[in-house]
Amino acid sequence: MSEDKGLKLKEQLRVNDRELADTGHLFGLEKLERKESDPGTYEAVWHILSNLCNAAWSVGCKVSSSPIAAEGGDALWALHTPTGEAVCVSRGITAHPGLLADMIRNFIELDYEDYPGFHQGDIFENNDPHYGGIHAPDFDMAMPIFYGDELVAWTSCVSHVSDCGSVTPGSIGFLNPDCYSDGLCIAMEKVGEADKFYPWYDMRIKSRTRTPDWVLGDARGRLAGCITVREKLIEVIDKYGLDFFRDACKEYVEDSRRYAVGRVRTQAVPGRIRKSQFKDLAMKGKRVLLGKQDIDCLFNLPMELEIKADANVAISLRGASGTVPFGENISPTALKSGLLNGYSHIVGFDMFNSGPSASWEVETPPGGSWANPFEKDFSASSGVAWAPAVMWMSSLYEVFGRLYHMRGFIEEMAAGAATTMTAEFAGINQTGQYVAGLTLEQACNGSPARGFTDGENSAWCIYTPNADFGNAEIAELYYPVLYLGRNLEPDSAGYGRFRGGLGHTAVWMVHNTPSIEYQCGCAGIRSKTISNHGMYGAYPAVPDRPAYAHDTNVKELIAEQKPLVHERGDPEDQQITNNVKARELEDAAIAPFVTPEPLQDYDIIVHPVSGAQSMGDPLDRAPAAVEDDLNKGWVRAGVAERVHGVVAVSNGRWTVDEKATAEKRKTLRDERKGKAVPFRQWWDEERKRVEACENMDAAVIEMWRSSMELSPGYGDELRAFWRLPEDFIFELPAAGKEES
Amino acid sequence: MAEFHKEDIARLMDGVLPWPAVQDMLKSPKDLDRFDKYLEIMAERVPWDDTILLPLTPQLMIVARKGERVVKCLCGQEYGDYRVNWKLSALVHVRDSQQALDEIYRGRDALDEAWVQLREYICPGCGSMLEVEAVPRGCPPDFEFLPDLDTFYREWLGRELPDKCEYEDRTLAVVAEWSSEGE
Repeated sequence: MSEDKGLKLKEQLRVNDRELADTGHLFGLEKLERKESDPGTYEAVWHILSNLCNAAWSVGCKVSSSPIAAEGGDALWALHTPTGEAVCVSRGITAHPGLLADMIRNFIELDYEDYPGFHQGDIFENNDPHYGGIHAPDFDMAMPIFYGDELVAWTSCVSHVSDCGSVTPGSIGFLNPDCYSDGLCIAMEKVGEADKFYPWYDMRIKSRTRTPDWVLGDARGRLAGCITVREKLIEVIDKYGLDFFRDACKEYVEDSRRYAVGRVRTQAVPGRIRKSQFKDLAMKGKRVLLGKQDIDCLFNLPMELEIKADANVAISLRGASGTVPFGENISPTALKSGLLNGYSHIVGFDMFNSGPSASWEVETPPGGSWANPFEKDFSASSGVAWAPAVMWMSSLYEVFGRLYHMRGFIEEMAAGAATTMTAEFAGINQTGQYVAGLTLEQACNGSPARGFTDGENSAWCIYTPNADFGNAEIAELYYPVLYLGRNLEPDSAGYGRFRGGLGHTAVWMVHNTPSIEYQCGCAGIRSKTISNHGMYGAYPAVPDRPAYAHDTNVKELIAEQKPLVHERGDPEDQQITNNVKARELEDAAIAPFVTPEPLQDYDIIVHPVSGAQSMGDPLDRAPAAVEDDLNKGWVRAGVAERVHGVVAVSNGRWTVDEKATAEKRKTLRDERKGKAVPFRQWWDEERKRVEACENMDAAVIEMWRSSMELSPGYGDELRAFWRLPEDFIFELPAAGKEES
Repeated sequence: MAEFHKEDIARLMDGVLPWPAVQDMLKSPKDLDRFDKYLEIMAERVPWDDTILLPLTPQLMIVARKGERVVKCLCGQEYGDYRVNWKLSALVHVRDSQQALDEIYRGRDALDEAWVQLREYICPGCGSMLEVEAVPRGCPPDFEFLPDLDTFYREWLGRELPDKCEYEDRTLAVVAEWSSEGE
């Protein structure tokens, strides 16, 4: 029961929805009375609640067992209203408060209040994307909090377990062909009561995951954090009173909605903003699980925002391409939660909670697309549902960066994000333990370029503000690898006036294992192509290209004290190619992949983590900044001259030749004009090539076909732009069809 | 509300404002006159007199000129009605061959011409690279932003523009004209 008029929670949800529709304010709060009458207490209690969630994060991560939570802090705790709206959240993986809020709402919508009922100490969980989860490794938990006999709040948690028992070993299953291979499923279940898990919950994890001790340890971590929230919250209510707590929680959520709307209104511009984005998943000819996966895919990830006159934001994914037979499809609920993550970074981060999402009108993504798979493809896999979503969300940073620029708020601008390439291991480690999980390298990218300076190197992550790649020594404790290198990667960000922060490269030697599976995973990467983040004339960051060597001569190299591999080296002069001999050596592998054979001792892995996107014409980059990069080894001389037009000489230290640089830049600008043609001239020729599908990979053709079929209006606009026949559809040539 | 000197905003734009001052801007409540100061700075920097209505990008402005609203480069090059994607009036250098792509992305980082083309939009006036698109063949050029200028001025800034323009995307109409001219 809710506190209002003895309504059931489901009835209260209807009241809430109606009040928002009628007044435009969450809970119908046209005034924030607690804030206005006692702003000091209002603010103080907010910080207490926030600290309480962060205390839960500290406790929960310490209790957890897997390196993902215990070392990387890849988890999150939150406090919710009785009807599910997130009030405040801890640090950690901020992509989740939206779906945790929706999960609680779903428990209510499904009449769980009647059966099995809500009681103090009950533990509910979900990890099933069909019911709003993001992907199976993210276990979402919620517990109702009672004060006396009244349900006054919920606490929730998500932690990313090291293994959920999917058909492919490792933490996140991009390779899963369908949902039946996604692993252990907890579908909106009550999994414990009286603060204890049911025995069968433990038994299921023990029989269906590869690392049950870690998975159960993480479950206890989630529970410990939730109990921490509950126990501390009861003390807060004792002190400040239930009436204040109830009122203030609603006001915090509405306050946050107002903040987001206010920020858009005072710092952006109304209008329509569009950003195309694409992401590849090239698997043809690689090790896959089912025959249908022997294909290359390209995702269409279009973003359209309409900033409306009332400063609410309409968001559309019209044109999203179809589902893929891999674990890269995401439910609309999870996608919206991801959007809240992006919004928290770049729009509404004063009080992070559910509030800003009430200022959106998110158009349901096309049914049967990667962003709304289950309508047409109920068995679609969501093994690593994040992969396309996070690349789509990257556009949000650039989009708002452009909006802030137009109002002159240069200090708030950002370019696009880096990518997320994971390294996953499964097999016997150096202690004889079976391990399955991922390292944390990807949780520490370069940050996007800003409107006034470069991004930060290895200090940012799109899915968590808690960017941390963890200690090398800890990774070496869990997995049978030794770090031969972990260095900033030159030229790993885009090229522009302001450079994205650089990524880094980890170099591992497999050590002390009978054999281990290595999966270079996709949690949002591009390898055949690159991002469409050429903001204001920058070049997008390089594609993700890892390397490995299997069955190597490294043992002999060590014995002979010869050079090993400690970094990538120049793109045309790589260390792994120069220094290592191997039966199988890929020095520019198209990711993602699982190595054809398990790796063994003395095998080498080179795992680059991407830098972020840049902004502005690279010829406008300050020569002194290029000189500084040269001297730090962050840009290679060829890029400095060819792309930035900077002429520099080295006598042990690089010095820019200002006069030669000015001349070089003038020459390059003139050359640009000479090489370029009027747009219309290009359009006249290009539309014939488009109609003929000239030099378009089968993956490109199939992407356009599905995008246009699933979003007819989008298709009409594309046809109109290229003046294609009204009945034109992209089709593979007969031979191409057979091949694909 | 905070207030910042125009000189500091200009230094921020140029990337030379010291970090403590930038932090101050980041942490303070936003200054309500920022847009007007920004327009003033831009107006002082351009070699022409048209009134800037909205800086679309650091290089391209929407300006009022003889009763029209057009996109204009800092250098003075004009791109026509702001409701038509300005890219249609730019020069474009499209890297859609392996050789042309390899000039930017070398060796290990080489792109695949059958998957992606790089479109470099160049100002015919000054040779600045205004935008770069990395998209597969068939993708129409992004019309990054179509502002609702009248609503912006009237409802958000609280002042009317002297004339009115319908808020609509006119890009496809131009393309249709091209097509009919070619027939």
